[in-house]
Amino acid sequence: MNHPTEDQFVLYHYGEASGDNEIAEHLEACESCRANYQVLQRVLAAVETLPVPERTESYGAEVWRQVRPQIAKPAKRRDSYFWRLLPWPRWALACGLGLLLLGAFHAGRFWRPPPTSTTTLVVQPQPLSAGARERVLLTEIGDHLERSQLALIELINSKTNGAVDITPEQVLARELAAVNRIFRRAATDAGEPGLASVLEDLELVLVEVANGPAKLSADDFAALRERIDTDGLLFKVRVLGAQVRNRERDAARELAANRL
Amino acid sequence: MMDDSDAVAVAKAREGDQDAFGMLVERHSLRLFQLVYRMTGNEQDAEDVVQETFLRAYKQLTRFESRAGFGTWLHRIAANCSLDLLRKRKRRDEKVETVELESEDPLLTLSSQAPAPDDQAFHLEVRQQVEAVMEQLTAMERAAFVLRHFEGKSIEEIGSALGTGPNATKQSIFRAVQKLRRALEPVLSSTP
Repeated sequence: MNHPTEDQFVLYHYGEASGDNEIAEHLEACESCRANYQVLQRVLAAVETLPVPERTESYGAEVWRQVRPQIAKPAKRRDSYFWRLLPWPRWALACGLGLLLLGAFHAGRFWRPPPTSTTTLVVQPQPLSAGARERVLLTEIGDHLERSQLALIELINSKTNGAVDITPEQVLARELAAVNRIFRRAATDAGEPGLASVLEDLELVLVEVANGPAKLSADDFAALRERIDTDGLLFKVRVLGAQVRNRERDAARELAANRL
Repeated sequence: MMDDSDAVAVAKAREGDQDAFGMLVERHSLRLFQLVYRMTGNEQDAEDVVQETFLRAYKQLTRFESRAGFGTWLHRIAANCSLDLLRKRKRRDEKVETVELESEDPLLTLSSQAPAPDDQAFHLEVRQQVEAVMEQLTAMERAAFVLRHFEGKSIEEIGSALGTGPNATKQSIFRAVQKLRRALEPVLSSTP
């Protein structure tokens, strides 16, 4: 067999590879793969050093002491009936969140508190700082990109047996497209052309999946898959996701430094 | 298959016997804490998620299908609670130190002889690297990796618990392992 990939070694390590015996035989014969696999084993063994804090024997009883009052008198939500009546799907709520974030983002960009006298001792509630708002927005975009990436991976790896039914993927694509639209607009308004451009490409595919036929012929599906692959969309989303996470970390560090 | 005593306790709890549910809480709390701590990396968060898991389980008890193990079902709820928390959580400024550096390290306690200072420093560096990388994994990567590596769950079980398909589940695990390898390989290759 050819040299197994890194991913095949991971599956092999966990006993999930489809050709276990072939990989074992290959490892016997191929010195470089054996060395490579041994490094992987060492890395995964090192993860075992991650400690878990000890708990006393009475931990279970302690948990029960805390849980019991909460199940004994279940607090009734005053608004539960209202929420049940709400006909909005999840994506609509997600859009609402996106709009709130967008509003918060703009509020931070254009609103400045009036100058205060240094001698005034009136303590006023502090609005969320621009840095904190940016971080919240970056976290949400990062999560959205991760979900979109997983959805695309799942879609292009769907098993084909002549025709493909993508009904579940369509439901997800519809939700993701609605949220994506909010973030794309926010990115455009915030002067982030790179971010807006990738989000636009992503949205086109999501909308195409969401509004296309649920059952695709093998040819149609191959065309869709090729489009996602050829345009490098998945790669772009992955890179952008990593960049957003880095910016989120930088924002977090900056916030922490400002607090000190 | 479900443990008989679990099955009896679940049946009683469904009929409103809170003490029976309490028995289940006491029996499964520790294992649940270990799982959740590895997923969240924070002691306080882990304790909160354990409680949240039992509250959700109690509310959904009628939906539990007894052919599945109660522990497995709880783990599934806990994994989802942890995932929610990881997604929502803003990285905290102060990470709770959970373990004293000079004790409880599996690598350090392997030998009955006191390790040389170089070994201690090396093991400490490895552990710090592991913690740092785990912190930087995405919520899905961390959840999938913990369930595979520490809990020994199959790709199918992980996908079912996290609501992802097999390919997405595998990709999350692959990316987690890639990140760990990238960070740890240079450290491990400098073994004293």
